[in-house]
Amino acid sequence: MKIDNNLILKLENLSRLKLSDEERVSMISNLSDMLRLVEKLKELPTDEVEPLIYINSETNIWRNDESETLISAEMAVKNAPESQENFFSVPRVINLNNK
Amino acid sequence: MGQEAFETIIGLEVHVQLSTESKAFCRDKTEFGASPNSQIGAISLGHPGTLPFMNKKQVQYATRLGLALNGAINAMNTFDRKNYFYADLPKGYQITQDKKPISIGGYLPIKMGDVWKNIRIHHIHIEEDAGKSIHTLHDSKSFIDLNRAGIPLIEIVTEPDLRSGAEVDAFMSGIRQLVRYLEISDGNMEEGSLRCDVNISIRPKGTDILNNRCEVKNVNSMKFARQAIEFEELRQQKIVEEGGTVAQQTLNFDPATGVTSPLRSKEDAHDYRYFPEPDLPPIQLSADFLDTERKNITVLPWEAFHFLHNELGLPVQEASILSELKDTFIFYKGLLEKVEDKKLLINFMVNKLLPSLHEKGLSLAESPLSKEGILQFLSLISSGKLSHSIAYQKLFTLWMENPSLHPLDLAESQQWLQEKEEGKIELIFKEMIAEYPQKWSEFTSGKKGLAGFFMGELMKKTGGKSNPKEAMDILISLQLKK
Repeated sequence: MKIDNNLILKLENLSRLKLSDEERVSMISNLSDMLRLVEKLKELPTDEVEPLIYINSETNIWRNDESETLISAEMAVKNAPESQENFFSVPRVINLNNK
Repeated sequence: MGQEAFETIIGLEVHVQLSTESKAFCRDKTEFGASPNSQIGAISLGHPGTLPFMNKKQVQYATRLGLALNGAINAMNTFDRKNYFYADLPKGYQITQDKKPISIGGYLPIKMGDVWKNIRIHHIHIEEDAGKSIHTLHDSKSFIDLNRAGIPLIEIVTEPDLRSGAEVDAFMSGIRQLVRYLEISDGNMEEGSLRCDVNISIRPKGTDILNNRCEVKNVNSMKFARQAIEFEELRQQKIVEEGGTVAQQTLNFDPATGVTSPLRSKEDAHDYRYFPEPDLPPIQLSADFLDTERKNITVLPWEAFHFLHNELGLPVQEASILSELKDTFIFYKGLLEKVEDKKLLINFMVNKLLPSLHEKGLSLAESPLSKEGILQFLSLISSGKLSHSIAYQKLFTLWMENPSLHPLDLAESQQWLQEKEEGKIELIFKEMIAEYPQKWSEFTSGKKGLAGFFMGELMKKTGGKSNPKEAMDILISLQLKK
């Protein structure tokens, strides 16, 4: 895969980041290095190896269906940049003009 | 080309909110309608350093549904992260199952008129709900309530087997009925416990191509689903008839206008970047676990219907009413063995008990009338002690008002019971025979019409309280004795 400016723009959008032109240049070089390393790793024969997702072999870590209240609504919104009437308040995320 | 030249191909993604006490991955409460952000903790808020902790009940419920739909249960379940940015998704990803969902394949039987059709299921998987965004409370802000974030969901993905709004309606009703039978969800569409995304495309009839489809998001009532499908059928037909191609895109349905409008096109479709959720260890389902869930399926809705319709021979309408809810079916079945007059039992449940409870807003489980009382009530009618009309029109109402009293005692206190003293009736007939020997002799030699005369005289003498059927039997037995 080739890392180019378009890919960086797409990744910026997906991660909601805004890079400067210089940052983009260095990002292209950084990501290309990383990909080269991964390409190198691909040379290892892994056909017979299951991907390692979980670092231990435990399964069925589950709990019974019991509820509890840990914090109040006031506490929940306390650290939010903006809140109103115990709602988190964010810039409007939908265009309602056509309604 | 006219409308009839096309057929509609529909597949659904149905979300079922499970009726658990706590959330999918933490102990926050799940009550509907709680005040904003009152049911959230650090895990629902997606705070750094928090870890998900699986609710066992969600796995049990999903397994039960998979088995009921005849799916193949994956013994080894893993979880994945579906990444996207949205204000009501605090972690920035949804925990779901992508690679190893709980159940693969299967089908739901739906009834279209008299014909059953199996709608194939692609798979079902476990996931969590997102929070709720409210856009109407402020001019320039969206308000976020995270009470719903993390509520356990099952997503049911169908194959593109549905062909019309009516079939979608039947499928959604079937799922609602099924999740209620399985006691895993209240299936309430108004409260959002059951929602669907509709994938819809059209093609010339008789072909098997699959054209570009459009996904209509978040249809939260059957009525809207039908409207959205009808609108899309016409919109897509028009495009094709004009020689165009339907663009693959995600649409929003506006209930106020009945119109769908693009939410996003294929080009800027989400790139969800699924990857395994390392924070949730796999769930390995044992044979015992599966057995328990299999046993928890006591009866399935279509089995109940077939039992009533095909085995007992009930008409479709009665069979549908008595199998609509599991409670009703089990209640009916429990009484069935104890009631002699099966037709009376069906009539009583369909035409009297269920409508009366419905009128009062009660479910069968909340019915104030005991089973024993109902058996007594029915036997009063079938034994002829009480006339059908008095029982239905007077005694039932009185009993509903005094459910702790016995129907028999109530009927006695109101002097509604019909006299049932064979000896007494026989005696009256004998007196009549002595009084009208000529008529009796004509009757016994074949003039059947005279039965009316003797019956009429009897009723005069008993003030109309005699049970006509019983009296007639006595009259005939006297005639045979002669």
